[in-house]
This record gives sequence, structure tokens and C-alpha cells, in this order.
Amino acid sequence: MRRFKVGDRVVVRDETTLFHTRCQGYMRGRIGTVVEDRPAWVIPEDEAWGRDEDGRHEPFYVVRFKQTELWADYAGPDLDTLESEFSERWLEPAGEGEHSV
Amino acid sequence: MSSETPYTVLMDTLEAIGERDDTDLPSLERVRTPWESRMQATCECLSWRGALDTLERRQAEDLLGETVYRRFPVHTRSALAVAHALMNKGVFTESELRSKMAELRIRFGED
Amino acid sequence: MSTHSHDPHAPVQEPDGTDEFEILELAVRELAIEKGVFSAEDHRRFSEWAESRTPMYGSKLVAKAWLDPAFKERLLADGTEASKEVGVNWLDPTGTGTPSDYTYFYVLENTPQVHNVIVCTLCSCYPRPVLGMSPDWYRTPNYRRRMVRQPRQVLAEFGLFLPADVEIRVHDSNQKSRFMVMPMRPAGTEGWTEEQLAAIVTRDTMIGVALPQPGWTAAEAPPRSGVAHQSAEITGGGK
Repeated sequence: MRRFKVGDRVVVRDETTLFHTRCQGYMRGRIGTVVEDRPAWVIPEDEAWGRDEDGRHEPFYVVRFKQTELWADYAGPDLDTLESEFSERWLEPAGEGEHSV
Repeated sequence: MSSETPYTVLMDTLEAIGERDDTDLPSLERVRTPWESRMQATCECLSWRGALDTLERRQAEDLLGETVYRRFPVHTRSALAVAHALMNKGVFTESELRSKMAELRIRFGED
Repeated sequence: MSTHSHDPHAPVQEPDGTDEFEILELAVRELAIEKGVFSAEDHRRFSEWAESRTPMYGSKLVAKAWLDPAFKERLLADGTEASKEVGVNWLDPTGTGTPSDYTYFYVLENTPQVHNVIVCTLCSCYPRPVLGMSPDWYRTPNYRRRMVRQPRQVLAEFGLFLPADVEIRVHDSNQKSRFMVMPMRPAGTEGWTEEQLAAIVTRDTMIGVALPQPGWTAAEAPPRSGVAHQSAEITGGGK
């Protein structure tokens, strides 16, 4: 079952870089909002090894970040955003005290 | 990976292609040459058949293109990175590549 | 055209290096084939497929959506499926797509409030089945690194200046999906046919680094060149 729903605030896990992850460094530890569901797909960590058939499937999500949350020195307007997709293992619920800037 | 060293057979192509001169968004109007399209198809084949995954290749292009082959123009990166990676993996050796290139120069020089 | 426009008949630069890289490319390919890594037929199939892709498919999707609200709804709901209506099957040419083009396709609709732009910071993921090969600049580390953190500056380098009350939404397409921007239909195109509309939906407008304009079609520009350059001239910008 899916762990998150559209509207949930999530934080991107800050893990040691796996060899084949597609999760980019600048998003790690940042808080965003789930804006869209994606189907369960084979995660890239397995797909890279050719495990298209037996690889682990996981729900994916589109997460939207405010640019000012991603970059402390963001020079543009507050309303600018960035979106990217994540497999479920990369996301955690954003804690109570955590607020995007 | 920081211990990567350039292959001489690849560095030897630098004189012909010329040093990289694009420091900003490069050459918006560059026309893609036919060999680049064929190289792309080679990349697809290598990934499809499991010899060199697309993501691994792209990471190699970035890493090698910014380090050992940084003097080369950006559009040559896939050719350099693929040749480099396949030699690292032992798919073929540097001397095999050198011989093949010599053979092709003769073949191209004919007729 | 301005003085720094390229003469379409000018010889392609770096001919010597091209020869040498032609040899390198063929040498790598022949060695890989000799070693049994893939076949010459594999290579021919991928080449043929890639050469059949052009931004024309994307342009057609957008123009069709501008004219047909029901199609637009289908396109935004399921880009992969709606692509078939203009003859694009994301599973070509292998039955599972190509290794560098995943088979999930989403169209991002620009609105008066939101301007979308695509980038792939990881490598250079690009919706090739509908836009053809990505431009060189799209694959450069410079574009990939800066578009996610300085989108307004990078767009300005393309000659695109957006008001501060328009949200710029950057899509870092480094996972499963491929994206394409559906620009807004510009004023001055009332009563136009699908073909007329498709002509102004150029590649760059579907990446999100330019906006379609009634007086500017890719067909009027020199083949495979000049599009981004021309947009810079129209808006008075430039890099």
C-alpha cells in the first residue's frame, strides 16, 4: 500500500550515495509536498542491474519543493518551484517541527 | 574513480578534434555530425544488451569529461567515455582499439 | 539576419577531428560487435528509429491539444497513451522502448501563473520519441546544474524573461518519466489550422526555454539551426 498521499509533506532521506541511485544530492534532507502519485515501478537501484522482471517494485511520487527550500541563496521569487520523482524508500514524513522556508 | 588515467589511444585524438573552447552554454547552433548519431545508437545497444548501462555511461561522461578528458569538446564525451569504460571493463584492450583504428584509417583511405 | 548568423552553406567546423572521431566511433562499434556484445542489426535498428524522431511529433501533440479540448484532457491525463494518436509508441523500437527513454510520458501545461521547464541534472533524460535528439546545450553540465538553481538567469540567457509573478516550475526528470512542456497558445493565432499552429511550436518551446510566437516558425529558420538564436533576437536578449 502507498505510504504517502497527495498533499503530504515529506523529507527526502539523506543516505549515503548508492552506486546506482537516481536521487540527486541537492534534494536530500529537503522538505517538499507530494503533488502526484506515480505507479509502482522497479526502483533504479535494481533496474541498473538488469532486474527488470524480478526487481523491487515501489510506488513513486512527484514531490514539489520551493526553490528557497532547496537553495539558501536562491535569487528568484519565493513562488518558484522544482519538481522531481522519488521512489518511496527515499521519502519520510516531514516531522512536526519541520517547515519549509 | 579519482585514480582514472587517460588512455593514450584516446588522448591521441585531441590534436585532430581541437581543444574545448566552450565555457558557457556551448554552441547553440552546432550541427550534430553523423558519427555522433551513430555513437548514440551504439550507446543504446550497449545498454540494451547489458554491457554498459545508460546511467553508468552518463556518469562516466561527466566524471571523465571533467577530469582526464576535460580538454576535449563536450560533444566528444560519449565516444571517449564509452571507449574508456569498455577498455576498463576488458571488453577490448587498448591495443585492439589502436589496431582497429589503424585498420579503419586504411579502409577509409582506400578508393 | 544579424551578422553573427551562421551561413547554412558554411563548411561544418572541425572536419579533421570529425574524421578521427568517425574512426573512433566505428572502431568501438566494430570491436563491440566482434566481441558479441551486440549485433550490427541492433545498431541499425536503433539508428533508424532515432533518425525517424523529430520535434514534429511534439508540435503536433501541442497543436492538436490547443484545438481539441477532449484530446488535451487525454494528453494531460496519459501522455504515453495519447501519443499513439499522433503515431508515437513509446515502446518502439524494442517493444520496451530504448534504454535511455523510459516509457512514461507526462505533458506539463503552462498557464498564465506557471511556466514549466525541463532539465535532467543526472544525465540528460529527454522525451526523444516526441522531440527527437536533445540539443547539445541540454546535455551540458552547465545547463543541467544551473537550470535547477538559477532558472531565471538561464532562461534569460535564452532570451526568455518572465514576470516575477509567474511561478517557474523546474522539472528535474531524473527518474522514470519523461516530460514535455505544453506552451500556451499565443494571441494572434485565432482561426489557425493544426498545421499552422504546429509550425510555431518549436522544440525549444516544448523544453520550456522559449515561448511560441505567431511570427516565428522552425520551418523558416535554417535547417537544424538558428531557432534558439532567433528567439534571442526577437526578444532582444541573447547570451
